[in-house]
Amino acid sequence: MIRRAPRFRFNEFQLLIAPSLLAIVGLLTVFLVPRGDVAWSWADIWVSLAYVALVYGLSLGFGLLGVRGDQVILPLTAMLAGIGLLMAQRLHPSLAARDPLYANLAARQLIYLVLGLGVLGGTTILLRRRRIDWLRRYKYTWLLISLALLAVTFAVAPEINGARLWLTLGPIQVQPSEIVKITLVTFLAGYLEDKRDLVGSSWRLGALHLPPLPYLLPMGLMGAASLAVLVLQNDLGAALLFFGVFLVMLYVASGRLVYVTAGLFAFSIACWGAFRFFARIDVRVRNWLDPWQDPLASGYQQVQSDYALASGGLLGRGLGRGQPYHIPEVQTDFVFSAVGEELGLLGTVGLLALYLLLVMRGFAIGLRARDGFQRLVAVGLSTILGLQTLLIVGGVVRLIPLTGITLPFVSYGGSSLLTNFLIVGLLMVISDGDRPD
Amino acid sequence: MIAYGLWSRGGISDARWLAVLGTGWLLLLVALWPSLPPSLPTFARATVRTAILITTVFVVLTLQLVRIQVVQSEATVGRVATDPVSDEVIANPRVQVADLEARRGRVFDRNGAVLADTLFEGDTARRVYPEPESAYVVGYFSPLLYGKAGLEASYDDELAGVDGTNAILRNVDALLDRPPQGLDIRLTLDAELQREAHRLLRGRPGAAVLLDVETGAVLTLASNPHYDPNALFTAYPDERDAAVAAWDDLIADPTAPLVLRATEGLFTPGSTFKVVTAAAAVDAGFADPDRVYEDDGDLDVGGRVLVEQNRPDESRDEWTLREGMAWSLNVVFAQVGLQLGPEVMREYADRFGFGHAVPFDLPVAESSLETTPGFIDGLPALADTAFGQGELQVTPLQMALVAQTIANGGETMRPYLVDALATQKGDTVRRTDREAWRRPVSEETAAQVGSMMVSAVEEGVAQGAVLDAYTVGGKTGTAETGDAGDPHAWFIGFVGDPGAKPRYAVAVVLEHGGAGLAGSLQVGRDLLAAAMATASVTE
Repeated sequence: MIRRAPRFRFNEFQLLIAPSLLAIVGLLTVFLVPRGDVAWSWADIWVSLAYVALVYGLSLGFGLLGVRGDQVILPLTAMLAGIGLLMAQRLHPSLAARDPLYANLAARQLIYLVLGLGVLGGTTILLRRRRIDWLRRYKYTWLLISLALLAVTFAVAPEINGARLWLTLGPIQVQPSEIVKITLVTFLAGYLEDKRDLVGSSWRLGALHLPPLPYLLPMGLMGAASLAVLVLQNDLGAALLFFGVFLVMLYVASGRLVYVTAGLFAFSIACWGAFRFFARIDVRVRNWLDPWQDPLASGYQQVQSDYALASGGLLGRGLGRGQPYHIPEVQTDFVFSAVGEELGLLGTVGLLALYLLLVMRGFAIGLRARDGFQRLVAVGLSTILGLQTLLIVGGVVRLIPLTGITLPFVSYGGSSLLTNFLIVGLLMVISDGDRPD
Repeated sequence: MIAYGLWSRGGISDARWLAVLGTGWLLLLVALWPSLPPSLPTFARATVRTAILITTVFVVLTLQLVRIQVVQSEATVGRVATDPVSDEVIANPRVQVADLEARRGRVFDRNGAVLADTLFEGDTARRVYPEPESAYVVGYFSPLLYGKAGLEASYDDELAGVDGTNAILRNVDALLDRPPQGLDIRLTLDAELQREAHRLLRGRPGAAVLLDVETGAVLTLASNPHYDPNALFTAYPDERDAAVAAWDDLIADPTAPLVLRATEGLFTPGSTFKVVTAAAAVDAGFADPDRVYEDDGDLDVGGRVLVEQNRPDESRDEWTLREGMAWSLNVVFAQVGLQLGPEVMREYADRFGFGHAVPFDLPVAESSLETTPGFIDGLPALADTAFGQGELQVTPLQMALVAQTIANGGETMRPYLVDALATQKGDTVRRTDREAWRRPVSEETAAQVGSMMVSAVEEGVAQGAVLDAYTVGGKTGTAETGDAGDPHAWFIGFVGDPGAKPRYAVAVVLEHGGAGLAGSLQVGRDLLAAAMATASVTE
């Protein structure tokens, strides 16, 4: 094994100043506003200081171990996760007062955050130097794991809010569909890369030019799996996400827009059918177009979210000064509205810009990656982050029907947070691998 | 350019907006679609295109955020909706909480007595109304349940500190997280007189309105039955049930205590309307007080016989207009009405403000001459209307304005209840200007009609209204309502020092108060006397 020389990651070091300041100033604001006081104590900022120390420690650790990977995605992630930390701390008192279920919300989020940073660091260091190919070798295992997890969830998960998403493991609940995002992308990347040579070989069925079987097969499989998720688990968000990522990866691997169009067309028809035949989705669509037709029941959440976003205005009410806690599930699905109320349009657009930067950075890593598998993994994982953001924010701002998925890094929730950190870790690994040793 | 186009169409309905946004997105996509050199590997080309696609969707999200958070922000924040199934109302909880946190302005009567106050219990404000007889004029304030009514509603922005104060200071307050400082309101209402009016009404349903003749200031706006706004205010969840019960009682009450009789109650005016008919006849030159009409006990109008019941001397057949007014002779006024014809009648009703929204600080029902258009084109209907029956519908405030107009030389002042707005430190921010609303008749006509009203008090049926020290003019009315039950008892009039211009005008109605004139007339007279007494005390 060749050791790489330690190297100070200067850009990363500089860029990490922003999330550090955000954590310190933001958290201080969150603690001081309810007290109406300007006198602070160390007890108010040890959390922020710990967070700052953690991200800088990670950065220095990367430097010492000679990680040459991208120096922008860690600061972006730290920024997003910092906002998540702020929102959890800010929403905690009002939510804890309302429901004992959330008694440890802020503490839990903090633990997940620390674990997440650990996952990010661990992935980056463990999978360095082509050890990522290990992922490629076991691609069918990933497929099996994905399908098994989905099946198990469907079989044993209790129904919560009309959807079966969570598995209870001792004291914690995990959401298997989160980790399935990564295993599926890994499988697809491996599979599509292996069958790349078949890209030109279309075959005929009568007068029809059909895509090569290796594309047709997973296309059908993915479509079926997504629909199964949609219908059996009642999870429109995950279904859209899986299918969207699949289409993007198919397109990126083949360069054929026609496959994408065909897939999109088929999926639209399926969605339309679901809309017609499943009352729950029908309700979602109606509340998307006009939640005010049922403002006290099914439209309540959306109406409250509209109030929150509108109250924010251009500059927001200020951290801790708004009342986002009127929105049910504000800590997960509607955390974006809470940001909108307290930080205003500047905050929401800034947040979107962070996501866009992260996704674009992921694509750039993909473009520079050393082999086709890593390219596809990088693009696929970045697309996961981007698509997830678009789906949930689009639902919150009522551009599309609301889907119950999390806002990466900001929403409360362990499975989602850890998965997202794992994604960033993998991106780090891929970007690290593109530099000559 | 696309962004600008989308921005400028911000106000449209959701579905259309989505269509516009979708089209704009496609255009944006086409505009940004990169032409990549074919030498580029498939993978790179597809990735760049995907990146562009994702970027455009982020742009669309941003546009939608601009729309929600800026363009439509205010409309959405204040949006209130009713659930179509349960009829429950949903409003922005932030607005309700802001209402509870604001240091809402106080309301004073003209002598500085507190009619509405904001007391703080910790951070939560409690709205209290210490004067039960004046409280309902201020209205109710029930931010968590039923919103606002009365002055609390019409002066909400000023009381809440949203409007009327220095915009810069308001923003500084907001920045420093101080509760907004509402403005205090000083009314023209006199809590003493208001209490006196309620004492005189003795709980009977009806209304009493007392105006300052010169200015149009409202000194009394008594209304029975009424309600206690203290019962509708809630600051804490445990008060909710009591407030809901109080509200349900008010809504279920068949006497409708939430309707302010003085301004929103519509009644048949009865003979008090003869003042308008007489004013029209004199002003349009059809008659003068001494013109003689024949009244021998009955009159055939278009085949219907009208029987006179009010002649004091049944052997006399000829009466002057003045005597007709004094003794409230229906046959005389039926003839005056026929003389005027429907057009002149309509013109003068219009001049007095019938069919117009009275500009006032509280909502006022519109008084009308005829409910069915063209009703008074029929002769019997015209005759009935001339002496105050027919389809006439009036508010007590409107009839008080008629008396005020006659007493004020023919000029109707715009009635007002809010005299001034002041900061909570006491600096006056805005004073209400006294202004004329209409001029129905000439000064001369007003003087002649006024003297006829004085005759009615000094010689005629309204003799009960005589006050020794003052000159009183008045007109009684007994209004048949058409439904079962006693007629409404009316009195309108004015008072002043002898030989001087009248000072106060009054209108009193006792709902189904009976044919005996004593009730309403006494209330009116005593209220006028009380007003003169307080005026002489203050001078």
